[in-house]
Amino acid sequence: MAAAAAAAAAAASSLTTPKLTFPSLQSLYRKLPLSFPLSLSSSSSLPLPKTLTTTTSLSSRRPLSHHRRRHLTTRAEAENGAEASRHYDFDLFTIGAGSGGVRASRFAANFGASVAVCELPFSTVSSETTGGVGGTCVLRGCVPKKLLVYASKYAHEFDESRGFGWKYDSDPLHDWDTLMANKNAELQRLTGIYKNILNNAGVTLIEGRGKIVDPHTVDVDGKLYSARHILISVGGRPFIPDIPGSEYVIDSDAALDLPSKPKKIAIVGGGYIALEFAGIFNGLKSDVHVFIRQKKVLRGFDEEIRDFVAEQMSLRGIELHTEESPQAIIKSADGSLSLKTNKGTVEGFSHVMFATGRRPNTKNLGLESVGVKMTNNGAIEVDEYSCTSVPSIWAVGDVTDRINLTPVALMEGVALAKTLFQNEPTKPDYRAVPSAVFSQPPIGQVGITEEQATKEHGDIDVFTANFRPLKATLSGLPDRVFMKLIVCAKTNKVLGLNMCGEDSPEIVQGFAVAIKAGLTKEDFDSTVGIHPTAAEEFVTMRTPTRKIREHPPAEVC
Amino acid sequence: MARKMLIDGEVKQASQVEEEAHFDFDLFVIGAGSGGVRAARFSANYGAKVGICELPFDPISSEVNGGVGGTCVLRGCVPKKILVYGANFGGEIEDARNYGWEINEKVDFNWKTLLQKKTDEIVRLNAIYKRLLSNSGVKLYEGEGKVTGPNEVELTQLDGTKLKYSAKHILIATGSKAQYIDIPGKELGITSDEALSLEDLPKRAVVLGAGYIAVEFASIWRGMGATVDLFFRGELPLRGFDDEMRAVVARNLEGRGINMHPRTNLTELTKTENGIKVRTDHGEELLADVVLFATGRAPNTKRLNLEAVGVELDKTGAVKVDEHSRSNIHSIWAVGDVTNRMNLTPVALMEGTCFAKTVFTGQPTKPDYNYIPYAVFSIPPLSVVGLSEEKALDQANGDVLVFTSTFNPMKNTISGRQEKTVMKLVVDAETDKVLGASMCGPDAPEIMQGIAVALKCGATKKQFDSTVGIHPSAAEEFVTMRSATRRVTASGKPKTNL
Repeated sequence: MAAAAAAAAAAASSLTTPKLTFPSLQSLYRKLPLSFPLSLSSSSSLPLPKTLTTTTSLSSRRPLSHHRRRHLTTRAEAENGAEASRHYDFDLFTIGAGSGGVRASRFAANFGASVAVCELPFSTVSSETTGGVGGTCVLRGCVPKKLLVYASKYAHEFDESRGFGWKYDSDPLHDWDTLMANKNAELQRLTGIYKNILNNAGVTLIEGRGKIVDPHTVDVDGKLYSARHILISVGGRPFIPDIPGSEYVIDSDAALDLPSKPKKIAIVGGGYIALEFAGIFNGLKSDVHVFIRQKKVLRGFDEEIRDFVAEQMSLRGIELHTEESPQAIIKSADGSLSLKTNKGTVEGFSHVMFATGRRPNTKNLGLESVGVKMTNNGAIEVDEYSCTSVPSIWAVGDVTDRINLTPVALMEGVALAKTLFQNEPTKPDYRAVPSAVFSQPPIGQVGITEEQATKEHGDIDVFTANFRPLKATLSGLPDRVFMKLIVCAKTNKVLGLNMCGEDSPEIVQGFAVAIKAGLTKEDFDSTVGIHPTAAEEFVTMRTPTRKIREHPPAEVC
Repeated sequence: MARKMLIDGEVKQASQVEEEAHFDFDLFVIGAGSGGVRAARFSANYGAKVGICELPFDPISSEVNGGVGGTCVLRGCVPKKILVYGANFGGEIEDARNYGWEINEKVDFNWKTLLQKKTDEIVRLNAIYKRLLSNSGVKLYEGEGKVTGPNEVELTQLDGTKLKYSAKHILIATGSKAQYIDIPGKELGITSDEALSLEDLPKRAVVLGAGYIAVEFASIWRGMGATVDLFFRGELPLRGFDDEMRAVVARNLEGRGINMHPRTNLTELTKTENGIKVRTDHGEELLADVVLFATGRAPNTKRLNLEAVGVELDKTGAVKVDEHSRSNIHSIWAVGDVTNRMNLTPVALMEGTCFAKTVFTGQPTKPDYNYIPYAVFSIPPLSVVGLSEEKALDQANGDVLVFTSTFNPMKNTISGRQEKTVMKLVVDAETDKVLGASMCGPDAPEIMQGIAVALKCGATKKQFDSTVGIHPSAAEEFVTMRSATRRVTASGKPKTNL
């Protein structure tokens, strides 16, 4: 392994030069052999610390009009009194070393700031006292989830492969322990990498629970640190409603690290987390029941996608119980669990999982005492530059409950580091942020839905394709692919793009570049297809499936 | 007649249309492959009276066999992709074990099952294409077409009877055919046509060639468990592609267990009891069950009688056409592989569409060959759009910035597969325009399509950077390449500022 890694590093360094100073964080774990030589060599070319000058010039640039006075006040104090020489332990103190926190800290350090970040000790399940460097995405979200999706997807591939002539003497069986052990080894490796990334960037990592004492002071387990700026990036955690028997319920943290595979699982919730776990456990041959309060899964997504994914998941054996709200969980004498809903009781579950939303981790952070304003659900209120109601305190990522996605937290983290330490006030840009649901089949989407488009743009043309992919014609499985383009009838701009089917998340990324760049349907049409792929359908949609007009032309008699 | 027609770029007057009514067809198409079917259908949709002829169906093409659907559907893209899907499961089954799946040491693969299903599928598609033609009102003739005059086509039917039809326009869309190279024993070898229809899966396969067909079949047979030896003249496979990506493909093919023999030619094939004995110009000898010649394709123009009517061909036998796909004879046109421009199905479709528009709607339309994406379905696949680094340096005015990302895909962290995905963007340093993108790794062809839309419309690196990633995906690497791997100056170019 070591030899292979060294060889890979050698090969990699022949492809890349040490100029690669800021490789993207979310990809670094995949590029481990690259990251060390690069980070090490890059650290030598770090600019000299110039924090004071940059902050001063920043306040003169005044990115935020309503904070102007406070900045001026601080400066006035700084110029007139003892505050001028006030020494801070750090230019930036970050609470929470997840995607947003690590990104902001690293970039701030690279821009010359002295930075510390505190994080709770590592555990696969988060709590008031446990967390781990890497945060939700790496330890309890995107990464372990995707690893389990990979594992479970093989079941479908075995089924497909039979149609292509592959034969198994006995049905492949899945060993849960092997998967968990290999997954956890990978998570340990990743948390190690993230620590190294911080270390290589010159960020001080402090293990412990951070709490804000005053606008410039953080307490970590009794030790006080002063900082010019404090960043809160503590993320969110699963939320389980308080109903009778909720103590028997597991959340997504636990579901990613169960001691044994569920035989029969109830998943309560219709959001992306519920659907992703339904796919995972279904693939690993658990009996899966999903309970949703509404008529349809995935509220907020395109209506046709919502119907399509529900149908495809049902065809793969997942039982969807719609318009059923959980009322209680009852444990029987034999240890099995029953879920009581408004419609009746379903018995015999080995596990009941709630995927009923996530809440910002803002409890016991000392936020109320320093006057950081929060929304009703506990999210920190921030302005466009991620500044809270206290000018020296900032927040990025899920704790602000804007768009809760890793790449968005990364974007917010970079923007913040630029704003604070590079004299370049930068707002994150939330337009045309693509996203994916790793259900089986998965969904990819970018831009606005048909419903939003109709509201915002009036006249739109909708192009759809619903087809049986080449693979399914051979495998004989009922898999289909659905694709949709939403086009503004006036400007011909592509406003939204949706897809449900194999490879959707990979396919949508490139189109997201095109949509972000404001391209039109003609631009799509003028692009030649790659044959034979599923993706080529997006550039060969000739006639609209329907035209939606605010004022339909009068019938000609 | 309500439709407008273009003759020599001018819309004819109604009186002249009257005069020309003696033609049996407005358009007669020879060859019902991707380009021919598209041109015929679209022309018919624009109001033209269209006839098309095609040889009888057979999975293996010859001078007397072909089939509606053409190379792509019957002997190319589609059956190839089906076999690639089939072969890909070989690697997937290996990868599944570390994810906790307990699978027998040896999993059987039944070639005959897959072959039968592949044949069923192309028979089904053949019927669909026939229906597409009849639904658009195109008259389909089965038999061999020949050009007997600028406006005349002779059709030899299956029973030998000959028919003659006059047509205002004739479109040649007869495609191309795989070629052998001339070495002793070449008749023991096969081409891609036969390779898609073998009775048995070879245990030992020898592939000669370095193009996309060679690497695709090498991957297919390797994935199904065969021993594969790939021989080619050059240092790296896939001439014409970005050099760095060629090296990546070579490394990945080797990693998947294909024996690579660069700078090696085959000199002789002989039949032995234990298989075909293959001799190389390095003096090596090896035994094979199958020897595939993936040594290029040649346009199907031999039996069309084109020279006799004065249609100019190039050295390779391709029909010479202008930007509107018109040959030197004004009533004779050609699209697709027979013109040997860019031999891809979607390009033939584009040419067919442009032809129909030009001739039957009064809108002269040129196919646009810029930023055409394409893919090599090796395992793992390669996909590209725009310029390679080498071509970018050739064409750019100033410096070129090269961004690369080499990474271990997340799936491999648990499967343990030692295979890196490589992505590359080539950017004009002055304008920030992305000139080329390439990727070698799982899903590359699917990923590249959207990137192609962006490049086609002149996207800048800044626009890539401003796009948020989809996490966790491989594709997100294309929008998170922060710093250039290198800046390349066209130093090889003669300096002009003396």
